[in-house]
Amino acid sequence: MYRETGLVNSSPPSMQDDAALLALVERGGESAMASLFDRYSKVVYSVALRVLRDPAAAEDVLQEVFMQIWRNPDSFVATRGSLGGWLAVVARNRSIDALRRKRPMEQVEEMALASNYNLADEAERNSMMEKARGAIRLLPMEQRKTLEMAFFDGLTHSEIAEMTGDPLGTVKTRIRSALGSLRKAFTA
Amino acid sequence: MSDPRQISSEDLALFAMQLLSKEEMAEVSAYVAQSPEARQELAEIQGDLAVYAHTADMHSPPALARERLLKQVAREKKAIPIDRPATTETAVAQTGSAAEGAYGQRGTLGLGGGDYLAEDPPKRSVLSKVFPWAGWAVAAGLAMAAGNLYYQRDALRGALTNQAAQIDHLTADAAAARQVLDTMTDSSAMRVTLVTKGQTVPLPTGRATYVASKGTLIFLASNLQPLQPAKTYELWLIPSAAGANPIPAGTFRPDERGNASVILPPLPKGVEAKAFGVTVEDEGGAATPTQPIILVGE
Repeated sequence: MYRETGLVNSSPPSMQDDAALLALVERGGESAMASLFDRYSKVVYSVALRVLRDPAAAEDVLQEVFMQIWRNPDSFVATRGSLGGWLAVVARNRSIDALRRKRPMEQVEEMALASNYNLADEAERNSMMEKARGAIRLLPMEQRKTLEMAFFDGLTHSEIAEMTGDPLGTVKTRIRSALGSLRKAFTA
Repeated sequence: MSDPRQISSEDLALFAMQLLSKEEMAEVSAYVAQSPEARQELAEIQGDLAVYAHTADMHSPPALARERLLKQVAREKKAIPIDRPATTETAVAQTGSAAEGAYGQRGTLGLGGGDYLAEDPPKRSVLSKVFPWAGWAVAAGLAMAAGNLYYQRDALRGALTNQAAQIDHLTADAAAARQVLDTMTDSSAMRVTLVTKGQTVPLPTGRATYVASKGTLIFLASNLQPLQPAKTYELWLIPSAAGANPIPAGTFRPDERGNASVILPPLPKGVEAKAFGVTVEDEGGAATPTQPIILVGE
């Protein structure tokens, strides 16, 4: 959905802006770091808070994620995705790690992410949020609940199957279908 | 899932969410590394998850979180690289060179270093040949900037000295003005009204000093009669303009020796005064004077 709309062949303003800020951060620009924090801290903190349900722990994740940007800004290549989207997913992954009290899985954070949203633009970000929430509300209850348990609660498909009594295959299909419906809502 | 060829998009979704076992994660990772289609699908799923993450209720982080981060950032100051360009243009320029590539070929780990589309090998451009000289250019620039800063510092120091002298002068003036004011308003000050020799009973008197163009007024009174509770004296400015109403210029109560003052009451500028008067009013003052007029002067 995202790719054909410009991930690869165009550079939305947010990417350039984020890339410029990251370049400044790489050169020790503390104010650029503050700008990135102002732009994305709310999303990172909110996702962490949703997973951990603990403001202090969520703030720790927030600090950890942004300090990682400060220490290693050039490892995010803006042309491969959206920094805002990437931060949201990393915040979730780090929060799940904190929940499980395990070390971060760098392997999956070494990810590319297809997104065409100008998440650096607050208005567009808010619009995207509303659209996503609307799409999620339209999902069948069992799909919505299963995706929520997997993504925000970090439960494996086995754990979800055990809790709900549904077959493993059904759980996996529900997760995939829910994501598919979300994608369709944005391509419609 | 033992056969990599059977890895489905469901498995990729679980992989993206880190919900597989360690062995399964390794298996899917290997599969993704050798399948461009899987890499693309994985990137799409990560995009879906990023959108889904934004459905969380939004909360602003605590105000101190920003300060905490910036303090930590300041503690970990960086050595600024001068031999490599780090500009927006560089990052954007890589867009055009992005091409299909292997998922696991990159050496860096961590922040978004994954290869939905991997990068081409770095190309040496004219810029890359010029940049080795950038260090010397930067050093020369820094030397010139240091010279400029030296002269600017001297100029600023001179300006600072002048301003300090002005401040001293103004401070002395302000101290003298304050001393005058304190003497005039000090309730413990000795006040003597000089009268014609032989006149034994001093009468209530008042002296108003008024500058119409600035709207400034100083009024000093002596020998005033004490007032009943809930009563106050009120000073009035009677404008010279025909038909203009008296303007209240402040209320006051005399001390035990009958002395009182009104210093710089709020008055409009530019009102020429024909006379000043003092009346007795209810506490809080009045909008129009109440007869009789106790003191009057033209």
